[in-house]
Amino acid sequence: MIGFLHPWVLAGLLAAAVPILLHLVARREPPTVVFPAVRYLITTTRENQKRLRLEHWLLLLFRTLLIASLVMAAAGPTIRLSGVPGHSPTALVVMLDNSPSSTVVAGGTSRLSQLKTAARAALERATPSDGLWLLTADGTPRRGDRAALIRLVDSLAPSARRMDLGAALTLAGSVLGTDPRPGELMMITDLQATAVSAATPAAPLVVVRPEDAPPPNLGVAALATGAQPWSTDGGRVVVTVAGDSTRTTPVMVQLDNRPGRQALANAGSAVTVNVPGAPAGWRIATAELDADELKADDRRSAYIRVAPVARVFWDPGDRYVAAACDVLVTSGRLARGNELTLGALGAGFSVVYPPSDPAAVGALNRALARRGVAWHFGAPSDAPVETDSSGLLGRQQVLRRYALESNGSGRTGVLATAGGAPWAVRSGGVVLLGSRLEPEWTGLPLAAGFVPFLDRLLNRVARGELSMVDGVPGEPVALPDLATEVRLGQESWKVEGGDLFRPSAPGAHLILAGTDTIGSLNVGLDPRESALERMGDREIRRLWKGARLVPLADGGGAAFSSRALADGRGPLLWAALVCGLGELFLASIRRRRP
Amino acid sequence: MNRTAAPAGRVRLDLLDPLEVSRLGGLEVVTEGVVEGFLTGLHRSPRRGFSVEFAEHRMYQPGDELRYVDWKILGRNDRLYVKQFEEETNLRAVVVCDASRSMAWTGDPAAVLPKLDYARRLIAALSLVLLRQRDATGLITFDDTVRSVIPPSARTGHWHQLLRVLAELEAGQGTAAEPALRRVVGSLRRRGLVVFVSDLLLDRDLALKALRFLRHRGHHVLVLHIMDPSEATLSGPAEARFEDPETREAVILRPRDWASAYGATVEGVVSAWRLACRRNDIGYHRVLTSTPFGSVLRQALALPRRG
Repeated sequence: MIGFLHPWVLAGLLAAAVPILLHLVARREPPTVVFPAVRYLITTTRENQKRLRLEHWLLLLFRTLLIASLVMAAAGPTIRLSGVPGHSPTALVVMLDNSPSSTVVAGGTSRLSQLKTAARAALERATPSDGLWLLTADGTPRRGDRAALIRLVDSLAPSARRMDLGAALTLAGSVLGTDPRPGELMMITDLQATAVSAATPAAPLVVVRPEDAPPPNLGVAALATGAQPWSTDGGRVVVTVAGDSTRTTPVMVQLDNRPGRQALANAGSAVTVNVPGAPAGWRIATAELDADELKADDRRSAYIRVAPVARVFWDPGDRYVAAACDVLVTSGRLARGNELTLGALGAGFSVVYPPSDPAAVGALNRALARRGVAWHFGAPSDAPVETDSSGLLGRQQVLRRYALESNGSGRTGVLATAGGAPWAVRSGGVVLLGSRLEPEWTGLPLAAGFVPFLDRLLNRVARGELSMVDGVPGEPVALPDLATEVRLGQESWKVEGGDLFRPSAPGAHLILAGTDTIGSLNVGLDPRESALERMGDREIRRLWKGARLVPLADGGGAAFSSRALADGRGPLLWAALVCGLGELFLASIRRRRP
Repeated sequence: MNRTAAPAGRVRLDLLDPLEVSRLGGLEVVTEGVVEGFLTGLHRSPRRGFSVEFAEHRMYQPGDELRYVDWKILGRNDRLYVKQFEEETNLRAVVVCDASRSMAWTGDPAAVLPKLDYARRLIAALSLVLLRQRDATGLITFDDTVRSVIPPSARTGHWHQLLRVLAELEAGQGTAAEPALRRVVGSLRRRGLVVFVSDLLLDRDLALKALRFLRHRGHHVLVLHIMDPSEATLSGPAEARFEDPETREAVILRPRDWASAYGATVEGVVSAWRLACRRNDIGYHRVLTSTPFGSVLRQALALPRRG
């Protein structure tokens, strides 16, 4: 790639056409000379034509090249070459892959430290006239000068977030779009195959990747703790193992620091482990594999709520509700008692749905108000709608309902909606449902999910334990409406109910509403991080057109290679000199001829 | 200046530039002047007496002229011997002159005679020399056909007949030498001299074949290759279309580019002619039209007289 400091001078290249024009002009019909010895001329031309024609073309070539070389030299040519010290002002986005897979230890050092060395070497080639960005797995492009970004690289810690390399390329391209300078992209990565997605680089792309094969790896892909709360008798967890190793590994499952249980698993398999009982409360279940080169995915944890099942009072006259509760009692998920009242407003926790007699609604609303419940029943509606998809309810048909209206300005405590309006809300210890749990009001009693719905509603929701959510670092998770805080060990984040929360680190999080724990957020690494297999160079070139792949050791030198400039005047002046000498030589030969 | 001046102070026309000589007068006058000059120079040369040759001695007999007595033998042997000379044989010569269109050409009319004019004067001088030696001289002219044939004769006034033909000779069209050379056989019954005056821009193989035939018949054959100086070295405008006046063949080129190669080609042609003639015992001289006539005559008449 050749650029010019003074491209307007290139207009002088038209002068290179002068010898050609002269040549063409000289080819006009010449004057006729009567000459008897034409036969000698014909003999001469026949015997010497090739040599003289060659001389002629060489002369033309030398003269044309001489002019072209001089003009191009005057235009200040710059040639893009790797390995040369200088380059034109460039906007460079360095994408440094510090995803969990980069923490693997290869060749005695962590892969991330190798990647950081390459990134540092690349940034050290920057000049003050360059625009520099650093993009890591957290997805935030950081702009800075060379020194600032090198400091950033040096202090960079492994991220728990997966880095989608295709998305990173797209993001880097949009970053370059904001800078007028010619851009260049540099991806420094372990090139994990599961992280690669197709993208069209917006600028010349250099992919710096290790050449040695990644070590085989196994990791905990998932830790399923089943329906909760667990009874104090214990429960079962299902551990899924992912990775690209063929070996079998022991899986250790523990509840808090109690003695664990072990099982054997290999990549792609799931093992079920029975966990002994524990006292009521929030317990952390941990699944752990033997340590290998990638430690980040060897352990995964989740909160488990251990509690006695809800003791519920229900009206045996509610046919469908009573049948479902009987099933739950039989399976040990429910007990008869007065801790929670189902169908009416009781003294303790209550799940309230509209009375069958519309005349009783007013009294019920007044009773709710006296309890300090922030919601009341509004106008009835016979318009059939569907509940909006939610973790609590799923999609169910609603034939009749009362509008649930908030006494204040907010909508805090909405658990589910139907036709966009609140259908299930929680306020204090009371859950209000917009419809009775009868087929004339909603299709829910006849649905297969009715019993699990009641289980979740009575054991968790009504008692204030709203949410058991799984997540991965960096991916947004919808928090319950009442959530005010998310806590991970000693770290905590203030949140607002209903907001999206992006966990930054793996681990079992608690979701709090004030001082009450209302759920858990179990964050684990993206299971795709456990497969360390690297994408092949050919496939990379197919997915990222024009990508240039270089090994880690050459990463620094490859930076700014698309914009590295060598002064092209020297070679051009040499070329002009050679052409001039060639022309002189040929012309003098011709002049010496009689 | 010294070369062109006779001992008596007269200008020797045979050594002058041919163009200057041609400007001095008509063909006859100029030719006589050239020959006079030539013969004057010849008498002073070591090769004088070319027309009478010593044969043998014999005893003196009464009535023999005393001037033929060999006094040296009388002094040594005290006997009278007379020198006996071989009876002078009248040479029969035919000059074959090329009058094709190419012969009418000169590269520089202001400085050089056209080849045909040069040949005209050269032949006139040569024939005068031969006739003065009482050698019968004939003339055949040709272009693409035989134009005129004058049988060899040594009669008084024959030279003027030759002059008339030469004076009236005009350049024709193409060149066909072979028929003209074949016609020589009819003119020379016994061995004689054939002088072929041409620019040799003709079919070389055919011409050589005819010349070899003449040589085989016992004739001395002399080829005078008339060449304009501008034919020997190529010059002209930067680029020109060179056209053959006879065949109209043309070639476009830049003389400066081709001059060197052309010069080599011409030298090659001359060398080829010279070699072919030498192999066949044929005399060959390249004659530039700027060469003084005397020089050419000397070369032409240096041939052995006996065949």
